[in-house]
Amino acid sequence: MRFETLSDFKNYKNHISQEQKNGKEIWICGGPGCVANGSMSLAEEFAKALVKKTSSDDSTSFWHSIKVLIQHEDKNPEQLIKIGTTGCMGPCENGPIVHVEPDGFYYQKVTVDDIEGILSSIKENMPYKTKAMSGNDGKPAEIPSAENIPFLAKQKKLVLGKMTSMSPLELEDHIAHGGYSALIKALESMTPEEVCNEVKASGLRGRGGGGFPTGTKWESCRKSVSDKRYVLVNGDEGDPGAFMDRALMEGDPYSVIEGLTIGAYAIGSSEGIIYVRHEYPLAVKRLANAITNLEEAGLLGTNILGTGFDFHVEICKGGGAFVCGESTALMTSIEGKPGVPRVKYIRSTEKGLWESPTVLNNVETWANVPHIIVNGAEWFRAIGSENNSGTKVFALVGKVRNTGLVEVPMGTTLREIIYDIGGGVAKNRPFKAVQTGGPSGGCLPGSMLDTPVDFDSLTAAGSMMGSGGMIVMDDRTCMVDIARYFIDFLVEESCGKCVPCREGLKKMQMILHDLTEGKGQIGDTDALEELAEGISDTSLCALGQSAANPVLSTIRYFKDEYIEHEKDHFCRSGVCKKMFRVTIDEEKCKSCGLCSKNCPVDTIEKLDSGKYRIKQEGCIKCGACFEVCPFSSVDIVKEVIDHD
Amino acid sequence: MIEITVNGIPLKVEKGTTILHAAQANGIDIPALCNHEGLTLDGNCRLCSVEIDDRGSKKIVASCMFPITRSISVETETERVQRARNTVLQLLVNRNPKSPIIQQLCDKYGVKREERFAMEPDLCIRCGRCVRACEANGTNAIQLVGRGFDRHVAPPYEMETDACIGCLSCATVCPTGKITYDESPGKRKIWHKEFDVLQCKRCGIYFATKEMLDWAGRPENDRDYCDHCQKYIESVKFLTESQKK
Repeated sequence: MRFETLSDFKNYKNHISQEQKNGKEIWICGGPGCVANGSMSLAEEFAKALVKKTSSDDSTSFWHSIKVLIQHEDKNPEQLIKIGTTGCMGPCENGPIVHVEPDGFYYQKVTVDDIEGILSSIKENMPYKTKAMSGNDGKPAEIPSAENIPFLAKQKKLVLGKMTSMSPLELEDHIAHGGYSALIKALESMTPEEVCNEVKASGLRGRGGGGFPTGTKWESCRKSVSDKRYVLVNGDEGDPGAFMDRALMEGDPYSVIEGLTIGAYAIGSSEGIIYVRHEYPLAVKRLANAITNLEEAGLLGTNILGTGFDFHVEICKGGGAFVCGESTALMTSIEGKPGVPRVKYIRSTEKGLWESPTVLNNVETWANVPHIIVNGAEWFRAIGSENNSGTKVFALVGKVRNTGLVEVPMGTTLREIIYDIGGGVAKNRPFKAVQTGGPSGGCLPGSMLDTPVDFDSLTAAGSMMGSGGMIVMDDRTCMVDIARYFIDFLVEESCGKCVPCREGLKKMQMILHDLTEGKGQIGDTDALEELAEGISDTSLCALGQSAANPVLSTIRYFKDEYIEHEKDHFCRSGVCKKMFRVTIDEEKCKSCGLCSKNCPVDTIEKLDSGKYRIKQEGCIKCGACFEVCPFSSVDIVKEVIDHD
Repeated sequence: MIEITVNGIPLKVEKGTTILHAAQANGIDIPALCNHEGLTLDGNCRLCSVEIDDRGSKKIVASCMFPITRSISVETETERVQRARNTVLQLLVNRNPKSPIIQQLCDKYGVKREERFAMEPDLCIRCGRCVRACEANGTNAIQLVGRGFDRHVAPPYEMETDACIGCLSCATVCPTGKITYDESPGKRKIWHKEFDVLQCKRCGIYFATKEMLDWAGRPENDRDYCDHCQKYIESVKFLTESQKK
């Protein structure tokens, strides 16, 4: 397949849209969560079962028409059943997920034993109830299509949209799902300036966290005088618990490259580089496969579709330093030097990679571009809220019932995401905080749950959008300890170039370690705040400037916990081991013995009264008894200091 | 020329001048450690932080790097600047208490070392002036290696390297006296490497290592005299010849 001209492509498109497409399709999620849960072998079993059907069942032609996607990346055209994989479908908690098209049914926790059932349900044109995804009442939905499944119903899948029913490997599949219509439209009917203006009018803002208006960035790069310009993809996703960009690069690499190509056309660049961390080998592989296929098809390379537009894409693998996600450090790293940031008083759109004007956008930002070009800026603006148009993908993780990848219109509240989509806090524990924005973000308490999730509201609340990590925390999470965790991470990941980040975070870490180890001193909280402000003001790059956010936001909303750590040397959440003890309230104890059964060190004894008691000498303060007690009779109390 | 104000004083500066240069040229004191006249700018010590008002938005910037491209007002002594400067200085003195220049600055701005956060004393402040000097020579024998708190200056693999020519540029630009070397008549040792130092046949000073002259491309048969004497000899030769004519 090679397209020499624009009309070649359009003819091909007409041709495939005329092909009958009423056959059933079975899609098995190939996202990392589902793969870990065995979706690959499940897919193979599906294919095997189907092959069996085609040879034994009476209606072989029906089975022949089914398309199953399984893992083999080397496709064999001789086989009747097409093979490949999909990207992440989202409901990672309940994987492996199986999606049946065109009915749009979703099945969860599918095992090999369900294959026969699913296949017969397809033939009977009925949903397979046993493993249907949960509906509103928590039971399997009668008709398990997206609108009846709370996890999916409230989502608006724009950039993740194609991923549930498309092979991430095959260009044909991507084009059949509307891929590359945007580039064709841009090349055929828009000038580079018009493309720039369209993106500007759409209000698209950088999805990597900064929220800088993408169109404005493109325009300023377009206007910079230079023979050479670069477009870059920032695929150096480093936030703990975040996997949005990974899912996109693995599940829909063509869309990212299409967006990049449109961007290159708009700013007048002929060279693009995708910077991906080497810890994402599958993303690298999928992107490389996509580039090869696009080059073969004439959608990348010299004189694309006969329009005279040249564009080449390369992949650059990063070594995995967190700081390389910062724009200037990323460019320094591509240049082959150690990935440290540069002072940015002159913008990258004037002097970026190799001193040439450069546009760097996040993976998700690029993936949004084709949608804007195809549907127009007005359409895009209608999604989301004022000044925050479009959707945002989040990796919903932590103590939430349905972890997974979700995409919502901007302006959706935290409550809707955590409760309606996420199903609330896991194990019905009380909600304590939600952390957004990765290590440089902040923690918001229950009172802020109605904050709309958009760039401005989150920043005003003391957190930030970041690239889209969202970590839910329950009452067994100590906020001081969380701040310590993130500062530990940042101390480890600081490049060490500037003094405030290198030395300041270390000092902050020392204070936080003292606080969580029972060695806190009066005034530590104030000292932390003072230091945090100094670091934010003086650090060289955005990472340093926002590094103190986890500390500032936890102090802002959970100051009483800090004071408890500082003054009383007490951790109410039962996390900081030296600062509490676990006891059983004999009044409340109903002698069920669950605590004793679950104690990993057998240190809970039964008293003559039938009640239970924790022998403090052996207790390792793991909190297992606290979590299992159905009567809340296990208490976390202040450690009594033995003065004997 | 662009009109700016520094601490309320109106100044006219060339477009692209850094705030630090503009201030220094007009006798306004801003402390700075990592910048050096002869080297590329890096802006890593953050000691020269000042507050600017750029069309209504106030922010702290590193004055050594900030190019003046439009009319701004600069303040070097606001409360915010003082906090920024003292934060940096405090962090520096916690780790680098013995460096004379840092002691001086701490005395000047009233910052004291905090015993609770005192790190093992080290003279190096990781400003990388040495590295930039070596880079400017084209020798690239040393580099800042490691990440975060462990960042430090070293030759490749912390071992003797062919790239080092023993020129002492690194030691010359070091603001804190961290980079030391052993020097005895005819011998020099720096960065784990020993050098022979050539002696001038006329005045007797030890003037350069063999590697330095190799790097400079000076012919093997022309290495007897130091620069000073070489000049003297050349000029005498010139004078005698012109007199003959």
